[in-house]
Amino acid sequence: MSDADHQPSRTRVPMPIAALSDPHMSDAARHPKRVEAIIALVFVLAMVFFGISGAAYWQNWTVWIFGGALGAGLFALGFGVTAWGKYLMPQGPFVEERHSLSSTPDERDAMSAALVERTAVVVRRRKVLGGLFAGGAGIFGIVLAFPLLRSLGPAPGNELDTSQWKAGTVLVDSNGKPVRRETLVAGGIMTVYPRNQMRVENGQVTFTDQGLATDQTVLIRLPGGSFTTVPGREGWSPDGYVAYSKVCTHLGCPVGLYEQELELLVCPCHQSMFNVRNGAVPQFGPAPRPLPQLPLGYNDQGYLISTAPYDQPLGPGFFERTT
Amino acid sequence: MRAPLRGRIRAQFLLPAGLLSVAAMASLAVFFPGTGAGASGHDDASQVSTNPKDVLKACGTVNTKGVSPTPNSGNPFTSTNLICHGGNLFSYGNDSITYANPPSSFIEAGRQLFAQTCSSCHGNDATGTMVVNGKTVATIGPNLQGVGAATVDFWVSTGRMPAADVKAVEAERKATRLTPQQALEIAAWVNSLDPAVPAVPFPHLQGANQSVGADLFSLNCAACHTIEGSGDALAFGTNAPSLQVRSITAQQVAEAIRIGPANMPRFSGNLSDAQVRDIVSYVTGRLEHPTNPGGFALGGIGPVAEGFVALLIGVGGLALVCFWIGERS
Repeated sequence: MSDADHQPSRTRVPMPIAALSDPHMSDAARHPKRVEAIIALVFVLAMVFFGISGAAYWQNWTVWIFGGALGAGLFALGFGVTAWGKYLMPQGPFVEERHSLSSTPDERDAMSAALVERTAVVVRRRKVLGGLFAGGAGIFGIVLAFPLLRSLGPAPGNELDTSQWKAGTVLVDSNGKPVRRETLVAGGIMTVYPRNQMRVENGQVTFTDQGLATDQTVLIRLPGGSFTTVPGREGWSPDGYVAYSKVCTHLGCPVGLYEQELELLVCPCHQSMFNVRNGAVPQFGPAPRPLPQLPLGYNDQGYLISTAPYDQPLGPGFFERTT
Repeated sequence: MRAPLRGRIRAQFLLPAGLLSVAAMASLAVFFPGTGAGASGHDDASQVSTNPKDVLKACGTVNTKGVSPTPNSGNPFTSTNLICHGGNLFSYGNDSITYANPPSSFIEAGRQLFAQTCSSCHGNDATGTMVVNGKTVATIGPNLQGVGAATVDFWVSTGRMPAADVKAVEAERKATRLTPQQALEIAAWVNSLDPAVPAVPFPHLQGANQSVGADLFSLNCAACHTIEGSGDALAFGTNAPSLQVRSITAQQVAEAIRIGPANMPRFSGNLSDAQVRDIVSYVTGRLEHPTNPGGFALGGIGPVAEGFVALLIGVGGLALVCFWIGERS
């Protein structure tokens, strides 16, 4: 846009007013009686529905009436407003000219003159101030990095590689009761936790997050007495008891579905299946590794214990995993 | 406004619970025609000597391989009340569950029923074998000797046996061809061949704690049956059946927990009778009667069904409305 057709900046462009002869007016807007009546009816319906839902709330009627009437009322209200705008208002597109954004030549000349007049005295480079400002902003950025880095939490250390199951840790159930040789019969299953992660407060047994989430272990008793899951794990399964980490090696879901005739553990998330008699090697599904097995034994009091820690990290894989 | 709601809940749960307990007592009365109602059984229990020799003489040989010796967890010899007479185990249990064997008068009827409806698959003596041309061969069905009366009663009273299709992966629950008493008669005969436990459980639900039952259900049962009890698919064509079926009795739930039918694990020493009773009360009192205060349950199978409806009907409906709003004539 050149200066020649420049308009004064204060000039307002008038809004176009739709006439009945306007091609943007729909037939319904030119003869509004029937449409008006329908929209009015819809609004009345909305009132009735809201009244019903209010009565339902007050009289404790079933939630179906309350929710249904509320929904129908809101729909009627929205339908009416939309129909009002759609059928009784002129429909665009309308073009409204925007005024020019540039200043007038006189204003621009005055600004140039003022800058030239002041330049020699006021406007020049100030390197010291600029440098100090950059230093302040830089230190601000460095200081900001501390809480940002800290908010990532503590470094995991070797926590991902180890669990709280040690040699001699007693297996307890969710109520904190230790497991004995006779607790399960063949075909039984229970979830056990390491006793060193158990806390007793006011008679209530709780477990640490680590004990509940990471160290949870399924204890299963298979028929047929002591057996060996895979060579090298002799004596890990006394009296048919066998224990596996309950955290799936795929994405960490609790592997809690046990089919005792098939001797299969099934993960509910992605249907990985583990044969418990053969070392929980995945039979099907996306799990990449067998469930880690916990070697079992008995202590002097006859309680079931782990005779050694898990021999590998629990749960899904991670970057630094070495095994 | 609140009181009628509470009243409704009370009527909904206490009435069935009361009826069940009355039924349990009535069944006990049937089982002890000579000694009267089950309540008098406590007196008999005090007469049983705890000397192992006397116990063996009174109860006879009982196969206990199916139950844990943990006290009050379904084992007769570690239960509070044990009633034996003349070499037969009548009943045992405690205030939470009474386990009772069907009376010996049921045995003869059971023998005939077994021969008619069960023997073709399980063998004439329920051993899972059959003699063909002088050779002993395995039958389609497994050996039933030494499984206990509860196991037989569960499979027959839930309609799973006699099986509709003997080659099916699983025997599904269906309308029963045999009456509850006929199921007990068959159980009586099979149990007489090799007396074993668990006997048929009768949970006393009036003292049950449904809140504890809900916790135990989510810990032990929900993995397979889902938290709503709607059942779910398992491996190789098997499934955990839905528990939202009103015809499932408290007795059947207790039996399933104690015997571990088919692929269900067997819960013995890790659940006491009181805990089993709480779970039974939660299943029969709550899960079998889903109220769905939020609207449609959509099968109670979780985010898949809900997401499908939300995407197809919810988002689809919104898109249609948007088209209508934005449409130009």
